[in-house]
Amino acid sequence: MTNRTDKSIIQARNIEKIYPNGCHALKNVSLDINRGEVVVIIGPSGSGKSTFLRTLNQLETISDGTIHIDEVSLTDRKTNINKVREEVGMVFQSFNLFPHKTALGNVALSPIKVKKKPRAVAEQEGRELLKKVGLAERMNNYPSHLSGGQQQRVAIARALAMHPKIMLFDEPTSALDPEMVGEVLDVMKSLASDGMTMVVVTHEMGFAREVADRVVFMEDGELVFEESPERFFSSDNPRLQRFLGQVL
Amino acid sequence: MEKQSHLLLWKAVFVLIIIGLGFGIYAGSKSIDYTWRWERIPQYIINTEATTVRSPFDGTATIEKGNKLVVTSDYGDDPLVIKKFDNLLVNNGDLVFEGDPLVEVESWNIGPLTWGLVMTLQLSVVSLVFAVVIGLFAGLARISTNPALRYLSVTYIELIRGTPLLVQIFIFYFFIGTVLDLDRFTAGVAALSVFTGAYIAEIVRSGIQSISPGQMEAARSLGMNYVQAMVNVILPQAFKRTLPPMAGQFINLIKDSSLVSVISITDLTKAGREVVSSTFAPFEVWFAVALMYLVLTGGLSWAIQRLEKRLSASD
Repeated sequence: MTNRTDKSIIQARNIEKIYPNGCHALKNVSLDINRGEVVVIIGPSGSGKSTFLRTLNQLETISDGTIHIDEVSLTDRKTNINKVREEVGMVFQSFNLFPHKTALGNVALSPIKVKKKPRAVAEQEGRELLKKVGLAERMNNYPSHLSGGQQQRVAIARALAMHPKIMLFDEPTSALDPEMVGEVLDVMKSLASDGMTMVVVTHEMGFAREVADRVVFMEDGELVFEESPERFFSSDNPRLQRFLGQVL
Repeated sequence: MEKQSHLLLWKAVFVLIIIGLGFGIYAGSKSIDYTWRWERIPQYIINTEATTVRSPFDGTATIEKGNKLVVTSDYGDDPLVIKKFDNLLVNNGDLVFEGDPLVEVESWNIGPLTWGLVMTLQLSVVSLVFAVVIGLFAGLARISTNPALRYLSVTYIELIRGTPLLVQIFIFYFFIGTVLDLDRFTAGVAALSVFTGAYIAEIVRSGIQSISPGQMEAARSLGMNYVQAMVNVILPQAFKRTLPPMAGQFINLIKDSSLVSVISITDLTKAGREVVSSTFAPFEVWFAVALMYLVLTGGLSWAIQRLEKRLSASD
C-alpha cells in the first residue's frame, strides 16, 4: 500500500460483502480512520453500516478487499484475530451483557481469562472503570437488575477493560428508552474527549454534530458521502437530503 | 376469602383421592387371599445374622479369664486368640479339629437388597459421569460447522435413540463385550452411558442454541477464542437452562439401570428378583424395591432443585 498514511489506525479498502444468499451488503467501501478520530456512520436501515462496522473486528467476514487495524491485516490468514479483537472494543445495540455475571464480573471476565490478569487486579481495574461510567454503586448487581442505560454503560466499561485502541459502537442507544439515551451518550462523549478512536453507527444526529470529527453516509451498501459535521449537515447531496428529510 | 376456601376444597379432594387409591389397593389385596408378610423384608435390607468362626487347625481350646478363647495348635502354629464373641460353641479343654465351629459372632450385615441398591447407585453414578461427558461433546459436535463432526454426532444420536436400550445392552454385552473382553459391569456402564449420552447431547444442543448469538459475539469481540467463550459465557448459561430436562434424564438413567439385570449384574432389580424367589413374598419385595428406587430418584430430584434455586440468583 503506497498511500497508507502514518496516522491511519483503521484502513478499509474496497470492501465487498456478499452473503451466501446473494445479498450484496457492502459495495466497494473504503474508509481510513485516524488515531483519536471519532467517525459517525449514518444511513437508513439495511444500508450496510452495521455490517461494515462488524467487519472491522471480523464478526462479519468480507468477500473481497483489505482491512488493516494498526498495520495488521485482518484478511491475512496468519493474523490471530483474537489478538486484534483485544485491541478493538465493541458495544452492541442489545448490550449483550453476560447475564450470569454481576456488573463487575462482566467487566473483569475478559482481563482474567484472556489477559490472564490476577482476579484482584482485574477487579480493582473493573471497579475504577465502573466508577468512571457512574456505576460505582451497582457493581454487584446482575444485569437483570439494571436499567437499559446502566447495562449499556456496563457494556462500555467491559469493552474498555481490555484497554482497546479502538471502540466500535453499533447503534448503542437504539434499544434504550428516551430518558436513558443521554447517560450513555455522556459516557461516549467523555471517551471521545479522552482521545479514544471511535467508530459509531447511530441515529443520534445531535451526537454526530457535536462529537464527530467526520460523518459518513451509507446507503444500499455504498459509502455515499463523508464530510466534517458542519459541511455534512449543510450538504446538498440529494441522497443525503432525502435521508435527513426522513429522520429529522 | 372465597378463592381460598375453593383452594382448600380442591386440596381436600386430592387427599380424598389418595386415600381412596390406598384403600383400593388394600381392598384389592384382601380380595385375592394373600397373606402379607412385611416382617420378612427388613432382614434383606439389614440384619444381625451370626457368623461362625471355625478352627483353622487341630488343637486344644482353653478359655482364659476375661472371656478369651485361645486355641493352641498341635503342630506349633501360632495360637488363635478370639477376644470378642457372642456365643461360645466349645468347652474349656476341648480338643478341636480343623473346621470345627468355635464361636458365633453377631454383627450388622447388609442384606442383598441394600447391596443391590449400592450396585444401582454405582452403575448410575459412573454411567452419569460418562454420559455427561459423551453428551457434552456430542452436543457440541452436533452444532459444529465441521461436517464430519456434525454427521458423526447426528448418526450417533439417531442410532441410539432409534433402538431400544434392552437391545443395546445385549449388543454391548454379547458383541462388543466379547470383542473387547469387557466384564459385565463395564458393558453395563458402557451401554447406559452411550444411551443416556445421546439424549444429553440433544439437551446440550438445544441449551446452547437457546442462548442468544449476541452472547457469543460479545465474548469473541472481547478477544476470547471459541473455547474460552464456550466455557466462560455460553455453557454456564446453557447449564442453568438445561437443568430441568437434565434432571429428568438423570432420573431416567437411574430407572433404566434396572435393565442391566438382564446381563446378570446384581442391581436392585435383580436383587429383588432373587429375594422374591427365596421369600415367596413378591408383593412386599417389589413394593420395597420401588420405594428404594424412589429414595434414589427423590434425593436426586431434591438436590437438583436446590442447585436450581442457588443458580437463580442472577434472574
